[in-house]
Amino acid sequence: MRKIILGLFLLLFLATPALAELNVVATLPWIGSLAQTLGGDKITVTTLLKPNHDPHLVEAKPSMILAGRKADLIMYNGLDLEIGYLPLILESARNPRILPGQPGNFDCSRFVQAIDKPTAVDRGLGDVHPLGNPHYHFSPSNIKQVAAGMTDTLAAMDSANADYYRQNFKAFSTKFAQKEKEWQTLGLQGKRFVAYHKLFEYLAPGFGLAFVGYIEPKPGIPPSAAHVEGLIKGMRDNKPNGILTTNYYGKKESESIGEKSGVKVILLPGDVGSMAGTDDWFAFMDTVLTALK
Amino acid sequence: MRRSVFLTILYLAVVTPFFQAHAADNIAARLNTLETELGRQSEIIRQQQQTINSLQQELTEMKTPEVQPARQSAPPLNAGISGLFGASALTNPNISLVLDTFAYTSDLTTDELENRGIPGYTTSGLEQRNGFNLRAAELFLFAPVDPYFNLYAALPVTEEGVELEEVYAVTTALAEGWQVKGGKFKSNFSRLDAQHPHAWDFYDIALPYRALLGDEGLGGEKGVQLTWLPAWPIYTQFGAEVFQGENDLLFGADAGSGPHACSLFVKSSVDTTDNSTLYFGPSVLFGKTRNSTVVAGAEFDGDSALYGLEAVWKWKPTNSQKVTLQSEYLYLDQDGTLTDAETAQADALCRRQDGFYVQGIYQWQRWRFGVRYDMLELFADSFERAGQEQDMGATPWRATGAIEHNLSEFTRIRLQYNHDRSSRDDRGNDEAILQFLYGIGAHAGHSF
Repeated sequence: MRKIILGLFLLLFLATPALAELNVVATLPWIGSLAQTLGGDKITVTTLLKPNHDPHLVEAKPSMILAGRKADLIMYNGLDLEIGYLPLILESARNPRILPGQPGNFDCSRFVQAIDKPTAVDRGLGDVHPLGNPHYHFSPSNIKQVAAGMTDTLAAMDSANADYYRQNFKAFSTKFAQKEKEWQTLGLQGKRFVAYHKLFEYLAPGFGLAFVGYIEPKPGIPPSAAHVEGLIKGMRDNKPNGILTTNYYGKKESESIGEKSGVKVILLPGDVGSMAGTDDWFAFMDTVLTALK
Repeated sequence: MRRSVFLTILYLAVVTPFFQAHAADNIAARLNTLETELGRQSEIIRQQQQTINSLQQELTEMKTPEVQPARQSAPPLNAGISGLFGASALTNPNISLVLDTFAYTSDLTTDELENRGIPGYTTSGLEQRNGFNLRAAELFLFAPVDPYFNLYAALPVTEEGVELEEVYAVTTALAEGWQVKGGKFKSNFSRLDAQHPHAWDFYDIALPYRALLGDEGLGGEKGVQLTWLPAWPIYTQFGAEVFQGENDLLFGADAGSGPHACSLFVKSSVDTTDNSTLYFGPSVLFGKTRNSTVVAGAEFDGDSALYGLEAVWKWKPTNSQKVTLQSEYLYLDQDGTLTDAETAQADALCRRQDGFYVQGIYQWQRWRFGVRYDMLELFADSFERAGQEQDMGATPWRATGAIEHNLSEFTRIRLQYNHDRSSRDDRGNDEAILQFLYGIGAHAGHSF
């Protein structure tokens, strides 16, 4: 009996997989999808958040900690978007490979030019992101930089397959150039939108759009009746091209304001996979930009 | 900046003439004015859009050279910081303060509350007074010490002074899923015990804790903790702790000459669906006991073992709703000698007592609704003094309801009502609490 128990115990230890594949954990769906595009079948990707989870309201579930425990590489959005759960995962995972400063700790925002960096921050202003707007997955130029950085990291951590990763990046770049041309012909320049949350800001510099109002008076603070009334009045005069929101965040409020102001509500995917036909980042951007036409 | 100025001008340019137009009485005249204005405005908009586009072009061109080096290294975030201590401003620990204050009302007087223990468990009464109360302003500090340790400190400041509730270092660099924690810290053997009062789902701790461990559970204890999280398919964490054992109810500082309390625990968790998670595990806390809180005017000396079982299920059907069901069961096995302080007569004392609570929280947007039921002596009810079973009276229980509103992540207002029958007499304690919790600064995230 004792031998059996001992044997089982040994088995559990030895069963810890010594796989050649890189074990990558991504916090957000777009990160996981991009990593999979570049890593192909040489990496295994675990994505912590589901596409319809609000990235602002996440709890560090034990399953996420366990994923961190097994990871060779953790990839995250950064700019404090994961501040509520990622530090807890990194500490509780008891995995020195993924700690800050290690090659296995990949902060995508290191490759990004953040916009909306506030010059003064206090919480009286709402849930402000002090390091800048973290929702840069709507920005093609930034995503290309992130993809390049990811490729370098994958190639460095798994040098045997470095050429494979670089090839995938080349394919990605070719598709990127082609898509970029397509997107610029959509004629989005000069369109004006009202948004529920400051989620789509990167579309403005990327595609020449403008945001003329927000349903949330301050980030993360729900709108008051007076604010909504003022907004509707402004929108009746100003006639923006649409109200932008996601299906998980502020949909109801946006719809009621849309009805009263006569401005159409445009539901956009918040992340890769959160709507049908947004299976990778290119499809996601296609869906977003086509909806804005 | 330049863009926002332009947008403001653009907005004003579109909106202002509309208001002027409203002043005109003649509808035709108004329409005419409007038409001309509209024509003029769209021309302006077109011109301004051109300016915006060319500015954006310029901006992109200006930015391009900066993007390239960013690929090699992180851009300096606060390069502008200077001063006497230079960049040390960036190396400050994270600091936060949580104010925990409440108004309390009960049909009992403050004197009666003070003497309201739980017969057979504890002689300690309730500390709160009718009227305004301040539990604490809890000061939290944390930061990495170096690449090997993180340090955490919790210093609740009360009107009596500063308490050193927790200060401990945790390893970060051990491999294979091991972690060591050392210093003074709250034990992880059970669920409520590891939480700070501001993180509880109700204003007060569950009844079995109050009866067996005290108002804040085991509380901060000096000692060492070793935990192991193997890379198994299912989350399973093993833990062992050794403590000095200074908790008044379960151990007592003088019960042994060295560390005289230990705990062992296992925590497991599975995601039952994409949106729901189950977390559960058994634990045991055991050691030597010497205290005078069980029976008034008598000292107890002996051994205790407290067995626990916890289960939590969280379900998040949508982003704005969450359901949490939670229950814990505690079973005490205690043997020793009870010595009367006056007569010095020593009797054998043997206690087998248990308790449980079950609670449910429904969260909808910024509102939280909670109910809880706690009870002692569910299965075990034995209090044997000198071989004689003592009849302590009616079974202690308590029922609770609470409504919470979170104005933001950092403000919590809670209204709670308790019907408390824990003192075994005919008098229930009907209490209402209006609690305010505020947090400022950088606070570490709470665990699941």
